[in-house]
Amino acid sequence: MLINAPSNTNRTKILEDEYFKLLQSGVSAENILVLVQNSHKKKEFINEIKSRFPLGSIGNLKIYSFSGLIYNYILENWALIENSIKNENRKIIPNLCGLEVSQKILKDAIAQVDFTGYNSKTSLLHQLFRRNSLINFNALNKEEVQKRTKILDESYSNEAQLALDKYKLKSIELRAFDYVRQVNLFEFLYKKLQNNFEYIFLDDGDEITPALLAYLEHIKPTVKEFFIGYDILGSSRLGYLGAISVDFEKFLNQKANIPFKDNDKNINAKKILELVRADKEIEFDNISSKSFLKRNEMIEEVLLKIKNLINNDGIKPSEIALITPNSDDFLKTTLEKSGFNFTFLTKNEKLNQNKLIGYILELLKIINDTNNQDVSSYVLKGIFIELLNLDKKETIKIIQEYKLERDFKNINIFDLAREKSHEQFQKLVEIYEKIRFEKLSTQLYEIVSNFVELREEISKDIIKINQLLKQIYDFEEVFDNVSNLELINQLENTIISENPLSDDEMDENSIIVSSAQKIIDYSYKTKYQFLLDVNSENWLKQDIGPLYNAWVMQKSWDKETFELEDNINLTKDRTARILYKLYLLSDNITLFSSVYDSLGLENLGGIDKYFKNKVETVAKAQNPITPRPDQQAVLDYKGGLMSVSATAGSGKTTIMLLLVDKILSGEILKDIESKNIFVLTFMESAARNFRERIKAKYPDLAELPNISTIHGLALKIIKENNNFSRVGLDYDFEIVDEIKRSAILAEITYSIGVGADKVDLYDSAISAYKNELAIDNTFVTQNRLFLSVFNAYQNKLKEQNLIDYDDLLLLALKLLKENKDVLEYYQNLVKIIIEDEAQDSSYTQQSLIMLLGGKYKNIIRCGDINQAITSTFSNSDVKGFREFMNNSYNVEMDRCQRCATGVLDCANGIVDWSKEKKEINPFSSLIMKPVDGVNIVDKNAVSAQIFEQEIDESNFIVSQIKQIFKTEPNSTIAVLLRSNFAISKWDKLLKDNSIQTYKNSENLINNPVYRIVLLILEFISNPFELKTTKQVALELFELGYYNFDTVKYANSLNEPLFLKDDFEEQFFWDMTYFLYKNHYSIYDLVSEIGSFYFSNSAHKDNISLVATIAQKTMNSQKTFENTVLRLREIQFKNNFANIKFFSTDDKTQKQSRVQIMTLHKSKGDEFDYVFIPELTQDNLCFDVEKYKLKENSKFIQKVKKEAKSELDLKIEIIEENYRLIYVGITRAKKKLMLSSAKNYKYFARVQPKAPSEIFEGLNYAKN
Amino acid sequence: MRKIDTFSAHSLKILDKNLDEFKNKFIYNLALFKKDPRATLGQKFHSLICYFINDFDVSNVIKELDEKEQIIWKNLENILKDKKSNFIHTEYPFLIKDILNGWNYYLTGRYDAIYKEDDEYIIYDWKTLNLPKNPEDDLQSVVYLYCASKIFNSEKIKMRYLSIEKLDFIDVEFVGAQKYKNRIDEIILKLKDCD
Repeated sequence: MLINAPSNTNRTKILEDEYFKLLQSGVSAENILVLVQNSHKKKEFINEIKSRFPLGSIGNLKIYSFSGLIYNYILENWALIENSIKNENRKIIPNLCGLEVSQKILKDAIAQVDFTGYNSKTSLLHQLFRRNSLINFNALNKEEVQKRTKILDESYSNEAQLALDKYKLKSIELRAFDYVRQVNLFEFLYKKLQNNFEYIFLDDGDEITPALLAYLEHIKPTVKEFFIGYDILGSSRLGYLGAISVDFEKFLNQKANIPFKDNDKNINAKKILELVRADKEIEFDNISSKSFLKRNEMIEEVLLKIKNLINNDGIKPSEIALITPNSDDFLKTTLEKSGFNFTFLTKNEKLNQNKLIGYILELLKIINDTNNQDVSSYVLKGIFIELLNLDKKETIKIIQEYKLERDFKNINIFDLAREKSHEQFQKLVEIYEKIRFEKLSTQLYEIVSNFVELREEISKDIIKINQLLKQIYDFEEVFDNVSNLELINQLENTIISENPLSDDEMDENSIIVSSAQKIIDYSYKTKYQFLLDVNSENWLKQDIGPLYNAWVMQKSWDKETFELEDNINLTKDRTARILYKLYLLSDNITLFSSVYDSLGLENLGGIDKYFKNKVETVAKAQNPITPRPDQQAVLDYKGGLMSVSATAGSGKTTIMLLLVDKILSGEILKDIESKNIFVLTFMESAARNFRERIKAKYPDLAELPNISTIHGLALKIIKENNNFSRVGLDYDFEIVDEIKRSAILAEITYSIGVGADKVDLYDSAISAYKNELAIDNTFVTQNRLFLSVFNAYQNKLKEQNLIDYDDLLLLALKLLKENKDVLEYYQNLVKIIIEDEAQDSSYTQQSLIMLLGGKYKNIIRCGDINQAITSTFSNSDVKGFREFMNNSYNVEMDRCQRCATGVLDCANGIVDWSKEKKEINPFSSLIMKPVDGVNIVDKNAVSAQIFEQEIDESNFIVSQIKQIFKTEPNSTIAVLLRSNFAISKWDKLLKDNSIQTYKNSENLINNPVYRIVLLILEFISNPFELKTTKQVALELFELGYYNFDTVKYANSLNEPLFLKDDFEEQFFWDMTYFLYKNHYSIYDLVSEIGSFYFSNSAHKDNISLVATIAQKTMNSQKTFENTVLRLREIQFKNNFANIKFFSTDDKTQKQSRVQIMTLHKSKGDEFDYVFIPELTQDNLCFDVEKYKLKENSKFIQKVKKEAKSELDLKIEIIEENYRLIYVGITRAKKKLMLSSAKNYKYFARVQPKAPSEIFEGLNYAKN
Repeated sequence: MRKIDTFSAHSLKILDKNLDEFKNKFIYNLALFKKDPRATLGQKFHSLICYFINDFDVSNVIKELDEKEQIIWKNLENILKDKKSNFIHTEYPFLIKDILNGWNYYLTGRYDAIYKEDDEYIIYDWKTLNLPKNPEDDLQSVVYLYCASKIFNSEKIKMRYLSIEKLDFIDVEFVGAQKYKNRIDEIILKLKDCD
């Protein structure tokens, strides 16, 4: 009997009816095999039979999931297998273990095979595991594997085969088989044994694997009848989970029954399949969507909806399901804070993510550590407070003692005031002595039985502890040479649910949070489905790596090649099947998306594209802008190549926004959608700003145009459609951040002996060299020393599966150049590309842009040659932009409406002044013009002064600033400096004069959340240190928390704060709260501190970013103390793991404060008053002859193919100095003051300094 | 207390002894998993007997046993070999549906082996530990015999506890289904009291 019906029908009931009929007709249950998809469905089937059956013997039910059938079959018939094994390591019962045991066997096997040059060892394990399971579930023989190796052109297939062969041999030797290996044994057995099943029932037939199909094929001749329920349109596990789409009509040679008429829902579900496959959008009444800028906002809205449904509409929590591929810490923490119950059916929970297990494992580590290594106080606190239930205050004291003694038995427990604490600690010492040399299983058992009070509330924990115990027994059974510590380490990294699905308990008071696949596997029906993060690329994640490809490894793969199009179509087909099945399981679906993910990175697009955005082009009414004629020229764009030269203050960003607006509305180019529009900015902050402005204008636009930096775009291209595998990258590659890159270079320069102080130099040289490689990839530098550093650096990156920002562009370029299909894909997509700050674009960037826009050739590049200020420290190539200007339609936006007329004249005067020197040509011919009636008319807006002494200069500036704040308290003032080094000096100087400052810097510590969190972590890390406590109070006060009495209170402390009982003092309460609080993960701790101080502030979006930084640091530093130290150490770094803080645009932060920054950093900004001090010749030279070339600059030339002459290099630098001061000048709206002194103090000595030639230039400009 | 409706001889023993322990173990799943080396050896013998009765060649697998254990096996093999064909089931699971005051409950378990000679059924239970002291009263006998009477629709049943090491055994004759049911119901009622 064949029943073709979707899972939301009574299909399973028909099967149950038939099964029941058979039993009643006298067929023994032993002769009927029922195969269901997982243990959850097995339980449901058995319960149904039990309830229907009359009193008496129900029989020996043979109802299994496929893995359950295999497991039992092997146990019953093991002797047969043992008899065919040569190895004499005999076993009466095999070790049918979990994946964690095979992980260890495979790890050992990998270590024996030389995978030279392979990116990442961690990933290798994953790769081979996936390869192995795909081969097994798809029942591929050696020839079939070889064929696929050829199709995929795999570079490491021989090594992979070798490692897997070794693994298999070892697993036989140890008689240890996980559920994947068991498939092999099963095949061996069923071919040897007679089939006793007369009837076969199979439900969810569309989700079976080729391995199961092969079994059914084998027994078919001896089976009287099959009863198969399936959905011909289903197979959501197709490909990546090894499912195969079976033609059951052919298999049974009979027509399928279609017992249910399609209702509206089924008709719609079928439409979903068709629409997605045809790249058309889904639009149904019961599907709605909401999109947000930040993930935080998205989750808040989800919670609000849940609240309304439960509180107002009387919906039960179990009738709501949240479905997302991104079930991360951020989501968990935020949901758990809401007060509703959530059950997470997550895919990747690690054992030690369970708090109780985590503390137990930590205690086990201490017990087994024969070296008595230092243990994190945070861990000890968890063990003592959570596990042993000791008094909190006493715990802190014991920790201090333990850290000195490092042995439980040496701690003086007689001081413990509370009797219970005393007893518990005594017990710990006894147990410790009793079990320290025992097996790990015994140790674990003893600890849990002695210290964990068995109560109903922790029953879920106990289930997990039992899983852990089972794993340990498995390990101990299989290996006799694994030390307890090694075993703990192995177990800590075990992902529980990689093993077959356990039957998660569903609770009706709980909202399910799950992946789409689990909802489908469980056929979990709900009234409401909230699909979260629908624009995250993880919805479309493909199961492909360098050593496996779930598509090609399908049994049914019959093509000779694997193309990008195959990947796209197959992914689309699988998505269609998943959305089809999800739709069948719910009455209402709401899609939620956010432009940014929880790390502030842009979501790259997911299933959102398959849903109609009903309000797409309705823009929010905003004040209409009337463009000036010079701006209008840009908006009149009709297509093709266009260059826009836009002077400072010409309103470029506004016009670009208007242009994008016009493009979106279809006025300029036909058939254009968001996805066809590409906007490239120089900085990520500019991209964010641009996205936010588009989003504000189109609040319901789910898919924004592609707005990113060129690096962001390159990353997207490499990640999309699995393109990374085409450039030899592994799926989990990461981009090396500033901190890691410096560390790698420091290690190399130190070991090669070139001096660790050369890190920055080599950093720039490597980047320059990579730019050379983009021009000519056959080039090899003659500088051998550099080459050895470069090669060592590249190897280090490869080892850690990292790439750098230069690689990102190079790889994207390589990908497009070498893969015609990929190039075609993007050229078809990129209908228009707009580049901002084109003057700073490098050769590689320009090549990439021209290539991407190569088909439609709608390329707009905006820039201002006069503001090209990055060429001396980056690979920017202003010549490329000049050339583009010559070859394109050029529009000049020459009106500057920002600066006072005097400032404009000054800037234009500097341009003229530069023409006095024949050897240089820093500027374009663009002359800035004011806008009538807009610019402040003030011929005296610029002043310049050279002081005798440094102090005269600073005193003068301080007095000026005070004066300005007195008369215009709301005005903006900036001090622009030549170097980063000078920022702290001016910061201190102004602060000493009671002027508040704002440092515009991306330093981690400049972010208030990072700063406060770090302080409190420091307090927790060392509560005995009074200095830290005092510092916390002071800094918190400075940031606006508590009052000055708190500072006085902290300063008056003469013993550690927590030892006191100052319950009246809020600061005492807050600090001890955090000190005693035990979050198992630092992520949760940081989230709590962050939420406590910032939940109502503009900074709240940065809490999860700081929590992630802390968590990542903890992962590498291991102990809490080292993590805190490290977080302090990296405080001045600009970025960590490429996480970018959200700019808060918190005006209050800048109000009545002087903004201090470098001239470079000021670009793009504007201020009422601008001071540019310290303009000495050393700082800003304009004379080629006087300029002394730095060794570093010369060195970088040496790695290039065509090194510039020293003169050319000097000219380049001098030209850039012209532009740098030009940028500085054009920041001023009202007044500008440039100054210098004749004498400056350097390292305690006053030295005479020649003022910069700029003062001559200013005179020139004046006249 | 409808959360749990399926009982084994083992769970009934605990329920009979201590309600709280029963609740912790079987309702809240609070029991810790412990691997007892004695039980492991028992399992090995169970499997061996199973292979042997099912006519598998066990000459290889028994090499896992130490010398002393091999001798035990040889002796056991000698006893079993002539009776092999009379064993109709090994490792045989059962599931019985019953009723108490209108409420359905289920009894479940697994017979080590079922031996049939003429029309008499003998339920074999291999013991590596001591034989039960009061086998007639032992809940295992009660549940196993009661269920067997339902499965085989017969009263010609007995339960045989066989010591693997010593090879001695105790037989428990079937007394009466109603008596067994009363005993089982009485224990289950302890649970219903706390509803």
